Amino acid sequence: MRWRVLTLFVSLAVAAAGQELERSPFHGDEASIGAGKASFRLRCSACHGIHAEGGKGPPLNRGEFSAGNRDADIYRVIAQGVPGTEMPAYGTRSTEENIWRIVSFLRTFEAVGDERVDGDAERGEALFWGAGGCGGCHKVGRRGGSYGPDLTRIGRSRSVQHLREALLDPDEDLPAGYFVVKVVTRDGKTISGIGSGIDDFSAQLRDVSGKLHSFLREDVESIEREFKSVMPSGYGESLSDQQQRDLLAYMQALRGEESR
Amino acid sequence: MNRQVWLASILLACAAAALGQVDSEALANSQQDDESWLMYGRNYSAWRYSPLDEIDTENVGRIAPAWIFQTGESGKFQTTPLVRDGVMYVTGPSNHAWALDLKTGRELWHYSEPVPGDLPLCCGKPNRGFAILGNRLFKVNMQATLVALDATTGDVVWEVESADYRKGYSNTVAPLVVNGMVVVGIAGAEFGTRDFIDAYDAETGERRWRFWTVPGPGEPGNETWGGDSWKRGGASTWITGSYDPELNLIYWGTGNPGPDLDGAPRPGDNLYSDSMLALDADTGELRWYFQFTPHDVHDWDSVADPVLIDVEVDGQPRKALVHANRNGHFYALDRTSGEFLFARAYTEVNWADGMTSAGRPILIPGHEPTDEGTLTCPGMGGGHNWHATSYSPQTGLYYFNSGDGCQIYHGATQDFVEGEYYLGSAMENVTGEPREGSILAVDPGTGDRRWRFALVSPPTSGLLSTGGGLLFAGTAEGYFVALDAARGKPLWRLQTGGPVRAPAITYRFEGRQYVATAAGSAIIAFALPR
Ligand code: HEC
Ligand code: HEC
Repeated sequence: MRWRVLTLFVSLAVAAAGQELERSPFHGDEASIGAGKASFRLRCSACHGIHAEGGKGPPLNRGEFSAGNRDADIYRVIAQGVPGTEMPAYGTRSTEENIWRIVSFLRTFEAVGDERVDGDAERGEALFWGAGGCGGCHKVGRRGGSYGPDLTRIGRSRSVQHLREALLDPDEDLPAGYFVVKVVTRDGKTISGIGSGIDDFSAQLRDVSGKLHSFLREDVESIEREFKSVMPSGYGESLSDQQQRDLLAYMQALRGEESR
Repeated sequence: MNRQVWLASILLACAAAALGQVDSEALANSQQDDESWLMYGRNYSAWRYSPLDEIDTENVGRIAPAWIFQTGESGKFQTTPLVRDGVMYVTGPSNHAWALDLKTGRELWHYSEPVPGDLPLCCGKPNRGFAILGNRLFKVNMQATLVALDATTGDVVWEVESADYRKGYSNTVAPLVVNGMVVVGIAGAEFGTRDFIDAYDAETGERRWRFWTVPGPGEPGNETWGGDSWKRGGASTWITGSYDPELNLIYWGTGNPGPDLDGAPRPGDNLYSDSMLALDADTGELRWYFQFTPHDVHDWDSVADPVLIDVEVDGQPRKALVHANRNGHFYALDRTSGEFLFARAYTEVNWADGMTSAGRPILIPGHEPTDEGTLTCPGMGGGHNWHATSYSPQTGLYYFNSGDGCQIYHGATQDFVEGEYYLGSAMENVTGEPREGSILAVDPGTGDRRWRFALVSPPTSGLLSTGGGLLFAGTAEGYFVALDAARGKPLWRLQTGGPVRAPAITYRFEGRQYVATAAGSAIIAFALPR
């Protein structure tokens, strides 16, 4: 019963103050934090990891947030999302109370700060655009190729661990929407590239040169979808440890502000 | 009653008959009525089969849209349209509904009712269709109400609340009219509600009976819930059941127990979650039940169509009820008694190693959701989820679709907060292993698979079979497809420009056969060119 009364009180508080609140009304409340954790697992863990350790989304368990470190800052990102990134706006899909519960859950992690990469971002930048050949496929700001995803704010969007994996073991966790389509034509030719669409009757793809192809299944020998990376494999060997760290440091520093 | 009033009422009755008003007899004979589509499953046995054969395997390649109605509303269109007397009645998401002129597809009226902003929902705001009796249409609204509309005008005749939506209740089910009553289920098991099946008087909206799908204290079955967990036991009833007029039994499937993925707070079998119920149509009393997944911890609702087929099983003619369950098995039960006849896995299953002779799954250990997660097949959505199925007496085959693949199930104990998700943790997709799907044709007497049509994505649409030897289906990527019902080969398709989330219907109008479906947020009616 005590719990009911608290909920009611809190609902009123939230309704009255809405987003104006600086601090979560559930701060330190065990049951609410539990509910926030449950809610986090349900809606957020696919990107931020089941323990908020990060993945396709940045880690949220390090007690520090790019968006700001007040409860209200975290509330704002969750409610409004980050336009132009995969981070959805939950303001219209969830109640204010529920968002505050998630905020309180996220505040239970002790501040440990960002994972530091022991590398030189400037040398990484040179490698990226030079010998590394990354810029041929990736854009940062207006510069670069567009076969691969835009990396302009990759350091903000992804955990370091995900970036390392993207470089060394890119098949492990492809960015959303990426897959390879491999078509074998009737005369035995193989055409493959990044799929832009696949369904039960057709597939569309973009080859490395950027050319678009569309095939009907009935016109070709086979159409297959593969969830593997088209990134050159073997960066683990071709790049020294130091070079890998330099590239990671460069990518971690890409926060979306530069070269706009 | 004086003579004049008496005459007047006779005249009115004649007018009603001329208008083709739908009475109980018309509903009982719906299978023979080629010009109408009068209920969710087309007939009380939920066959979704029409004998119409003008469009057949030879000429289906030539069908084309006769009209398209753009609703202009967003959201998931999962409706089964009704057709009667030159009019199509369609429900849409977010409490919208329309009456359309069958000749042109033009709107005759539009009904809508706001969805409360504070309504807790798990799965969007879809609606699965109307029911009809007399000149009245019945539909549920998202906020757990049931509304009766005048079919001519779309005006509200009555509206009743089934449950308080603030507690997590909502509704999407197409009602079923039986013996002058409107029978409906309810949704909400993701929010720790305690669910039910209701019957309302079609005339007045007064509730005639309610069957609680989670028994209360003192009722048989309550002992299958540890402590007071029954209060949040779930067992929603969000897909329309079927009805056997001879036995006067209503069959209705129930959903997952709450919390979905955490079994610890609810020790026991958790009756009647994940069950098939047979209820006396007049009183709502339970005649038999069969539980598919005792103590479910994978969110395997058992709401999918209970389809009534008389079929030979092991050489014996049986009044069967067949059902493709989300837990990966196809079941046949005896619908007079609930006796388990057989179950067959139709997709990858790694949590059970067959069934006992009573139909209880033999569990393979290690599939309880844990903090770190356990890999279980099928995934949370199934297997066959809720999408409408079809039985063709012409091919003798039962058709249903299946989501294929596994998921990682995480579990954790969670406090209950009214109106909030009460899942007990979450599912995760397996990296690099996308979930796919299929359309399956099985022999309902054995569960043997006759053919499989592979889908790149888990299925979204329901199915329709016809006397023309066709099976109509839709896909997540927006194709509306006609398959050869005997062999599963695609014969015709159209890219409609929006996901097909509804089952198709068919009817004859002014001498021509039409096939209609919702696609994206439009309704499209197809026919052979004149
Ligand atoms: C589809 C993937 C996805 C989902 C689901 C998702 N996020 Fe995010 N989230 C992201 C990405 C990507 C970013 C980084 C955006 C950017 O580039 O700034 C982000 C950023 C954030 C940030 C800002 C981090 C910081 O350091 O400032 C917070 C807080 C956050 N998300 C919380 C949540 C919560 C809470 C949920 C669930 C209610 C959620 N996210 C669901 C992908 C996701
Ligand atoms: C041949 C083109 C190509 C080259 C060269 C290339 N990449 Fe990629 N990269 C891609 C594509 C395509 C993806 C996305 C899907 C995949 O992995 O196939 C990707 C994904 C990534 C991602 C993950 C992005 C995200 O949103 O999670 C990172 C980080 C990345 N690349 C960094 C690099 C770096 C650093 C280099 C140079 C050492 C490099 N790439 C070279 C094509 C390329």
